[in-house]
Order: sequence, then C-alpha cells, then structure tokens
Amino acid sequence: MALLKLAVRNLRRNRRRTAITLAAMVIGITGMTALRGFINGQRETMVENVVRGRIGALQVHHKGYVQNVLTSPLQLDMADTPELRKKLADTPHVIAVSPRIEFGAMVSTPDKQPPPEDGSMLPEADQGKTSFFIATAVEPENEAKVTPRRTNLVKVGHMPASPEAPELVLNADFALGLDAKLHEAGAPLPPIEQQLALLAGDRDGALNGENVVLGGTFPSFSPGDKRVGLVPLVIAQRVLRMEGRVTEYGIAVDALSEVDGVKDALQAKLGPDYEVHTWSELFPFIKSLNGTQDFIFSIISAVFLAVVLLGILNAMLMTVLERTREIGTMLAVGMRRRQIIRLFMLEGAVIGTAGVMLGLAVGLALVTWFNHHGIPLPAPGATVDSIVRPYVTSRFIAGIFAGTPLGAALATLWPAWRASRLRPVEALATA
Amino acid sequence: MSHLLDLKGIEKHYELGKTTVTALRGVDLQVERGEFTVVTGPSGSGKTTLLNIIGCLDRASKGSYVLDGVDVSERDFDDLAEVRNQKIGFIFQSFNLIPVLDVAENIEFPCAVRKNPEDAKKLRARVNALAKRVGLEPYLRHKPDELSGGQRQRVAIARALITEPRLVLADEPTANLDSTTSEAIIDLMLELNKEQGVTFLFSTHDPRVVKHAKRALQIQDGKIHDGAGH
Repeated sequence: MALLKLAVRNLRRNRRRTAITLAAMVIGITGMTALRGFINGQRETMVENVVRGRIGALQVHHKGYVQNVLTSPLQLDMADTPELRKKLADTPHVIAVSPRIEFGAMVSTPDKQPPPEDGSMLPEADQGKTSFFIATAVEPENEAKVTPRRTNLVKVGHMPASPEAPELVLNADFALGLDAKLHEAGAPLPPIEQQLALLAGDRDGALNGENVVLGGTFPSFSPGDKRVGLVPLVIAQRVLRMEGRVTEYGIAVDALSEVDGVKDALQAKLGPDYEVHTWSELFPFIKSLNGTQDFIFSIISAVFLAVVLLGILNAMLMTVLERTREIGTMLAVGMRRRQIIRLFMLEGAVIGTAGVMLGLAVGLALVTWFNHHGIPLPAPGATVDSIVRPYVTSRFIAGIFAGTPLGAALATLWPAWRASRLRPVEALATA
Repeated sequence: MSHLLDLKGIEKHYELGKTTVTALRGVDLQVERGEFTVVTGPSGSGKTTLLNIIGCLDRASKGSYVLDGVDVSERDFDDLAEVRNQKIGFIFQSFNLIPVLDVAENIEFPCAVRKNPEDAKKLRARVNALAKRVGLEPYLRHKPDELSGGQRQRVAIARALITEPRLVLADEPTANLDSTTSEAIIDLMLELNKEQGVTFLFSTHDPRVVKHAKRALQIQDGKIHDGAGH
C-alpha cells in the first residue's frame, strides 16, 4: 500500500475540514497571484510611461550634464554629427536614437484684439499670456521611435511635421491655460501677429525668439508635468544659437533587460567625454518604489502564508488527535515512526499541491482576464489613460508551485512528529 | 528446543503523579510453540499490561523477555516495531481496522509497511487465500464500516496472520461480539492454531474462550498462576 494512496484517502475522510483548509489555501494563493500580477502590471505601466513615454531606455550626455542639469545644461552640449549618431545606432540592441535639447523656454500668445489706437492698454482678458515651460527639442520622426508612447498620445492636433516646422506641441492643460489656439495641419500659417512666440535665453543669456504655432497637445503622464512641451529641434537650435548641437540623445533598445549591457557598450565606445545613464538611474525613485512594493508584497505574502499554514497545522493537529488509536494500530502492526511522519507530511503535501493547483488556476485565470481587459488606472493627477495589465512570471509560478506543497508538508511536521512519538500502548488505549 | 516466550522476573511499575503503581510483580512465564493459551483475571489484575509487554507494545520495568530466541528487553522503538511486524499478530477487542482501507488492504497492511515489501501480486494472492480461509472472500473490496462485527474480527484475524507470525495476541477478541459470532471466531482461531501451528495467547473474561484453551493462566494482583487447561 503506497503511503500516498493512504494519505489521499485520509484527506477524503473528513471532507468538510479538508475543503475548508483547501479553501483557505485557494484564497491565499489566488490573492497572492492576483496581487503579484497587479504589482507587476502596474510596475510595467510605470516603466513604460517613463521609458517609452518620456526619456527612452538610456540617455547619452556630455560628461557632467546630469549632475549640473539644474545650473548649466546648455553649456554641457555635444556636437550632433552623423558619425556620432552612427556610433550610437550601431551598438547592439539599440534600435533608435533621438537627438534632443532640454531647455527652459517661454511661450507667449498673441493679444486677442489689436492695440487701441488711442495708445491705452487692452483689457486684461484680451491681452496675450506669457508662461514658462520645460521644452524638449526633438526630431519628430526619431523621437517617435524612442518615445512612441508620448508621440502617440498627441491625439489633439499633430506632432511637428519636421525638425524645421515652426510648430509646438504642449501639454493640453498648459495650452488650455494659455488659451492657445490649435493650428490645423496643412493650413497656411496665420499672420505673425496671430502666432505664438517661443522665447528662450541662449547659452550667453541673450533672449531670442521664434514665431510658432500650436501643432498639437498631449495629456499629462504624472502630476507636475503640466508645464512641458515639444519643440522641433532646428527651431530650438536657432532660438538657442546652438545650430548643429544637442544636449542629449535618447536611446531605444530592443529589450529593457539589455540596458545595462548597452550602457557599458556605449560608454566604452564614446569615451570619457560622455556619460551614459539608464532609465533606472535617471528615475531612481522607480527602483526604490519597486523595493517598497516588493517589501509590502513580502509582508502580505507572509501573512497569507502564515494563515494558510496555520490552517493546515491546526487541521493536522485535529487529525492526529482523532486518529490516535489508528496511529497506535499502525505502530502495533509494525509501521515505523518515520513512516508515520512521512504519512502525515504526505497528507500536508497533497493538500498543498491541490491548494496550489486550484489557487494558481483561479489566480492565473483572474490575472489573464485582467491582462486581456486591462485595468484603467491613471497615476494620481495624470490625464493619460494608463492601462494596467497584470501578469506573473513563470518564475513566480514555479516558486509558488514548488514552495506551497513544501510549506504545507513542513507545516505538518510538528503534528506528524507528535503522531510518531505516540507510544502504541497509550495510543491503543485511547477511546 | 527453546520456548517461544520466556519471561523472567517481569515487573511493571507506573508513575501516577507522586505514586508508583505496580501492575506486574515478578512474572515468570514460558509459552511453547503452538500453544492456545488464555490469560484470565479480574479487571486491573495486569492482563493487558502483560499482553502489552509480550506484544512488545510496552517495556517491562524489570526482568528479561526472550521472544523466539531473541532477547527483546532492551530493543529500541524501531527494533520493536520490526519484531512486532515479523513475529507477532494482533487481534484487538475493537478490531482496530483502518477505516479508509478496504478488507484486502487492511489484511495486507502489515506486509505493505515493511522495509522491503514483497511482490504486490504475490502478496495479493496470499491475501485472497487468507480471506477465503476466514470466509471474507466476497467482501475483499468492502470497507470496514460495511461489515458486521464478526466480519471485522475475521479481517483482524487475517491481518494478524498475513505476516505468518510466531505468536498471535488477542486482547478480549470476543468482547464486542454476540455469542454465535464469538463461537465462530473461537472455532476459526482454534482451526488456524491446529492448521498453521501458530501460537495464540488471549486475554479474556469469556468462559467460552477459556473452555477451549489448552492452557489457562490466572493473573491476580500482578502475579501469574498457571491453571489447568483443557
């Protein structure tokens, strides 16, 4: 008689108790799977928003740029040459390169009425508005390859047609606050006095400007990013007197898991005058957020696990109590102590296996359903539709699958040990 | 030829709080192979204690015990389990069948838990033969709760005999049976004793069992008195 067969039958003996223990396991494992899936999905959405919506997988700057970004970013620029671009693009796993200039700028909207002929001031409501924003100068076509999520989000209006097109793309709320009018794609440019003015100080501090129109708008990814906009690269270079120069290259890679290797390869190629940063170095809070999430998940998992294993422990203690006489009989006819331990641990492992299979089945079904349908969950203050698509890794599944029956078997260790230590003569005397 | 059982100066004391209770006071007993022996005596006289020590379910506080030429007095727990499995069959008053196993599985259980179990087909053939012998052939796939008391005790007898033991110990085997069934069970055990030469040792109050015994031992106040047999 295989002990396994006996273990399975023993579990079927008190069906209600087994069902309750199993239900606790299924609820626990389903909860853990769903929570892990949600955390993974939310994390991926966040990384997606940062990498493919804002900065790219990596960035290349002049040495010292990141450290001095708040003080003198324009001084730490680079010559934007075809050779450099080729060097970057030819690195393994790099799939796109987007030259950029990050700079502070102002945009002014035109007055709504011509100035009064008597020289008096226009009423405030009719006056144009001027506001500061953080501009990113890009080549639209290349930027669309590095941060497609951002460019794809330009649903109202359009991205600038070319690096020379005098068109801005601003955050929708910012544009609304300015009361800036959208310029239809392909329509002739309005008269200069009805255009926007893009103003910025160059590296020497001189204020320059260009007339532009509002080509399109995009929503906010996160709170605090409302005063932002995209500017065609050539227009920005003219305003900043930085023709042929940029402050950074955004880099897209074919797999985010490769960024560290790509970083090393780029740094080796470019030499000490340049610095290369990965997205996680540029947004370190994501890493710490991930750490916090993992810690919280570990605590919740530990609580789930403790509840489930205590349930098994309790059920097995009850079983030992109820089956004392039977254990005595088994010992009397020659069963050895380690066989008794194995029998009870097998019962734990069997219920653990059944629980993990059912729990994972329900949990994975939930995760798959939500992955398919998505959970609309924009970041607080964001207006971008962030869809969280939960998923779990095969490693997580393997860990749960291997760990739960093992944990269940270990939870039965104490009751099993107690059962094995029974003296047959006393166990047989039990009523 | 040596005795199957040879007990010398067996004492058993129990600690109950601060009090020491003596259940056996220097029991000397020899049992020959093939005997059909009963141990009788009033409740609390020490019958069950003696049978537990003879069955290697408990240890004596003092004295020596040689079973089938092997001194088992100082054996450890697992060794005693091995001795029980190889040399002793048990028949309990309350049958003590394992409820999740069917008749065939209950009978084969002592062989199935051995370190090196025998071939499953051969074992099952022996189980079938033994079940037929004790009149259980039609019930091999029945669970214990589907059987009468007499049938359950037959399963227990078959289970006790499947290991081909030297000794079968029966603790009040007819106590939970009606008179007709008791007679049938006693007859069965007598037949098996004659056919297979297995030594039977009973504790009982039942005069019907005593009537059939070849040797009757009276135990009183932890001391044994060898009485007349039939």
